[in-house]
Amino acid sequence: MVSWAKQGHEAAFRELVRRYERPVFSLLYRMVRDRALAEDLAQETFIKVLNGLTSYRPEFKFSSWIFKIANNAAIDHLRRRSLDTLSLDGSPSASTPEQMQATALQLGDRAESPLQHVENRELGSAIERAIARLRPEYRSCIMLRHVEGYSYEEIAETLELPLGTVKTYIHRARNELRVYLDDRRD
Amino acid sequence: MNPNPQHLTTDEIELWAQGLLPAARALHLTDCSLCRTEADRERKIILELVQLPRFAPAPGFADRVMAQVQVPTSGV
Repeated sequence: MVSWAKQGHEAAFRELVRRYERPVFSLLYRMVRDRALAEDLAQETFIKVLNGLTSYRPEFKFSSWIFKIANNAAIDHLRRRSLDTLSLDGSPSASTPEQMQATALQLGDRAESPLQHVENRELGSAIERAIARLRPEYRSCIMLRHVEGYSYEEIAETLELPLGTVKTYIHRARNELRVYLDDRRD
Repeated sequence: MNPNPQHLTTDEIELWAQGLLPAARALHLTDCSLCRTEADRERKIILELVQLPRFAPAPGFADRVMAQVQVPTSGV
């Protein structure tokens, strides 16, 4: 399919999108937990992959290549977001209670939008909420292992991590998930 | 009597949870309540994970992607 696409067949490009849109979007959605943002990142991933097909090395699994680009997009976004985080108490430069109140984030008084309703339905189960509490690097490893069925070796290759690190991340992730889910059941 | 007193490793427990652990090694679970408890807990979480659904992007996703993709001129 990739070599057909490289020859300039638009149908092959579309077939690649059709095959991978759900796995790629699902990974990104669970990483960022925002439908619109996950879709933007998925779009960015496919555009990068399809416009860069000439640099694709066939000895590397195509799905691994696309997951690698998607995961990098998600991690970059999460890093940028953590740098942009605002304090709920207002601007750090606010020195009086009035300034703090004027610059504080207002939460909890807005009705749920239709998109938020969908997100709550899709990602609201206990296991999804537990996954959301994992570190991003644990989250991508656990998704590739158990949702995509990747071997430890394939995950190591995709995420460019040592095999031992991948095993550690996955074991720790499952332990943390068990703790979160046990807390819920107690 | 315990047929194999050596406790299962994390990798072996994962194999067992997937039904892939050799029967000779799985025998250990019949006699070791420690490993059995750990294996049952692990299997439960793995089952929850493998049943997670895949989500679809909004309709028209492929068209939005293709609008920004440069298809090379067909050499055929």
